[in-house]
Formats: sequence, structure tokens, C-alpha cells
Amino acid sequence: MSPSLRSRLSTYLLPAATAAALIVLWYVLKAVFQVPSFVLPAPHEILVAAWEERSFLWPAALVTVRGALLGFSAAVGVGFLLAMALGFSPRVKASLYPLILVLQMMPVTILAPIFVLWLGQGLPSIVAITFMIGFFPVVANTTMGFISVDRNLRELFVMCNATRAQEARYLRIPGAMPYFLTGMKIAGTLAPIGAIVGDFLAGSAQGGVGGIGYMTISYFSQLKTPALFATGLVACVMGFVFVGGVNWLHWRLLHLWHDSMVKKE
Amino acid sequence: MNAAPLVAIRGLQKRFGAGPLVLDGINLEVGQGEFVSFIGPSGCGKSTLLRLIAGLTSASDGLITVDGTPPEKAREKMFFVFQDATLMPWRRVAENVELPLLLRGDAPGHRRERVARMLEVVGLSGAAEKFPWQLSGGMRMRVSIARALTVAPEILLLDEPFGALDEMTRDRLNEDLLAIRSRNSFTGFFVTHSVAEAVFLSSRIVVLGVNPGRVTAVIDVPFPYPRQPELRETPAFLRLLATTAQALRAVRS
Repeated sequence: MSPSLRSRLSTYLLPAATAAALIVLWYVLKAVFQVPSFVLPAPHEILVAAWEERSFLWPAALVTVRGALLGFSAAVGVGFLLAMALGFSPRVKASLYPLILVLQMMPVTILAPIFVLWLGQGLPSIVAITFMIGFFPVVANTTMGFISVDRNLRELFVMCNATRAQEARYLRIPGAMPYFLTGMKIAGTLAPIGAIVGDFLAGSAQGGVGGIGYMTISYFSQLKTPALFATGLVACVMGFVFVGGVNWLHWRLLHLWHDSMVKKE
Repeated sequence: MNAAPLVAIRGLQKRFGAGPLVLDGINLEVGQGEFVSFIGPSGCGKSTLLRLIAGLTSASDGLITVDGTPPEKAREKMFFVFQDATLMPWRRVAENVELPLLLRGDAPGHRRERVARMLEVVGLSGAAEKFPWQLSGGMRMRVSIARALTVAPEILLLDEPFGALDEMTRDRLNEDLLAIRSRNSFTGFFVTHSVAEAVFLSSRIVVLGVNPGRVTAVIDVPFPYPRQPELRETPAFLRLLATTAQALRAVRS
């Protein structure tokens, strides 16, 4: 067996086989213990439910994606700018960073009703909640990137009589990119979750369409368990799409030069 | 030395914070076209002395002037080559070499031309589009030197640039450095641990002692430039090697 075939085998075949085994186990347990479908639906029932509910789930997914995208963009944009301020000025960092930590310690479940009070039910609150969940990893990582600039490189810029703006543009920002992208990856994983949780806590069906979180509540109250599981499936797919997008960006920006990407022979 | 010295150091003292004296009573005058090596045991402050001349750190007492002005004001006349190549991993070789010109605000056409010429000088024209990780340690150091040469500095400060390289590569780069200097004349300051390197490159060797770093010996190297690799095997060279090694040993004991 060639090494490339072997590696492909372990990348795709092993997880697929494990998944297949778990699905079989699922059917077996359901049959043996005679679990009713409103408690634990069978995998095919979930797929059927997802198909039958597609006229609700698809628009709901779009609503959630919109919330996640907006919240994620805000987290990345604000996070980057804030990190820049923190990374460039030790004084700003000393005065602001502890407060950001305090904010981060605040559970979303407590923030959510406050946002609803301020912004009302619906998209603005959902975006705010997604933002709150995603912005800290961006700030923490990117700040680290701005701070950990190679000392010699900084002195090189001093020798060149570089201005602060030049140092930022040619040294600190490109140097912080790997850190920024790592923060972005974490935020990307959290964004769909944030949007669903936000929708769950602050969502509304204004205009007839709620997000995935809203649908979860609705299916739960109707005891439509297969459909409830189907929302989980949709959330999973959304998460992969988001992370895939960020991974692609990561690869685009770093694959030529960064240690984590280049193939060393 | 008939004209005023290019670099003058008088009664220089350096300590970091409230720490002990790192350098004490340093007096040195270096004229244009000299190549001065600082050699001494670890912790003798030779790198600090180089950084003082570069204006990267300031003297606790005493005076340093570069071309009659404080070092910080003479930076455009100088360039620094760091211990490791200090390249930006995200910029290609040519972009790394271009950086000082870019920061200085030179026009793109001039930058391209200059970068191509300097890469040719260090023998890396073929590697212009590579990234630093694709190069060997010796090649990276050549890139670093090419970058320093783009601005045609009057003074080149080299802080143990070849310390991490194997002996063959180091010898080769020593020869190349002298060849480059014969075309792009600069006054050189060179920090090293290696006696052979110091003797081969320098017109003058300054031996520094420890605790605090003081000049314990100054050795003139009489061999004319250009120097050939064969110089290393001549009796005169070996004698001077011995003299320098003795001066260095005297410091350690």
C-alpha cells in the first residue's frame, strides 16, 4: 500500500467506518430497548424530517447564517481593531484588557435578556450575542500577535528610521496574521453556535421566519423530535461551512510561508 | 588616519538599569575604510558595543559619535546585520532585500534594479522569488547581507553573522564578504567568537575582557586587501592567529 493511499485511508475511510458503526449501534439500541421515536428517532427518520420540514428549515438556516455572518464579521472587525490598540500601546492594554476579560466572564445567558431589553427581539440582539461570543478569541489571539514581534526585526525597522505607520503596515500586521487567523478560526466555530443560541434566547418569528434556534423551540414544544434532531443536523452543516470558509482563508494567506503550512522535506 | 575618525568612542560606559557595568572605559577611533572586529568571551559586551554604535541602545556615560553626530542621527549611514538572518518569513527573498529601500521611499524602478544587483553580488539571483524557509542558513545570511547593502551603507555593523554556520560555509562567506567589500567599500564592525574569522577579515582586532568589558588588547592586522583564501595557510597568518588567541586567553584567566 502506498503511503499516500494509506494516509487517505486514515483521513476518510476510518472516520466513515466509525460513523457507520455508530449508526448501526444506534439502530440496534433503539430496537433492543424499544425506544419510541419521540425520544430517540432513527437516523433515517431524522433525514426524512429534515426533508419534510425543508420549507421551514431552509429559510430558518438562512436567517441563522445571516445572524452568524453579521456577528462574526463584527467580532473579527472590532476584534482586530481593538487588538491593534491593545498591541500597539501597553498603556491601552493595561487599562482595557482586564475590562474585556470581565466582559468575557459574563455568561451569554445573562447578556441575552439585557440585549433584548436594549435592542428588542430579533436580528440585532442575535448579532450582538454572536459578536460577544466570537470577539474575545479574536482580540486575545491578535493582541498576542501584535505583541510578539521579533525583537531583531523591530530593531531592523529602527535602523531604517521607519515610521510607526510603516512598522505597523510592513511588520506588525503581517506578523500578527497567523494569530489573527487562529482567533478567526475559533470565532468561526463559535459564530453559528452563537447565532443559534442568540436565536434561542432572543429570536423572534417576525415576518414569519425564525432562525434555527427558534425552530428548535418550536419543534420541542410540539414534540416533533425527529425535526428537532434535524435542526441539529442543519447546525452541524452550517458549522462546517463556516469553519471551511475560514480554513480556506487561512490557507490562502499562509500556505506560502507559514511554518504550519509549508512542506519541509 | 589623517582626517577626523568616522566613529569615535570616548570614555564609554554602559550598564543596563541598575545592573553592573557591562562596558567600561572604552576608547576607540575608527577611520573610514577600516574593518574592526570585536572579540572576547561571552558576556564581554561586544554585541552591546556594536548596538551602541548603531544607536540601538544608549551609553550610560561617555561619548560616541558617528561622522561627528550621535549614532541615532547617523542611522542612514549605517546598517546592521543581525546574529540570525532576521528575514521576514512572509516576504520573498527579493521583497526582503527591498525592504530598506521601500521604507526609505525609493521609487519602485530603482528598488527593482538595486535589489537585482545586490542579489547578484551575494550570488542569489536565482532565489529572488523564494521564501526564506526554502533557503539554507548560509543563503539566508547572504540575503541579510544583500539587504544591508541595498542602501550602500558607509558603515556596516555585523553581529556574529556567521556564528551559527558550519566552518566551510563560514569561510566561504568570509571570502565573499571581503570580495563584496572590495567593490562596495564600507567601514566594517564585526562581532565574533572566532579568532580565525577576526584575523582573516579585519584590519584591526579589538579584544575585550569581562566584568566589566574593557579593551584589553588592540591587534593590527597588516595583510593588505584583497585577501585570498590561501592567506589562511601562510606562516604570518598563523602567527597572528596565535597572538590573537593568546590575547583572548589572557582575558579569560
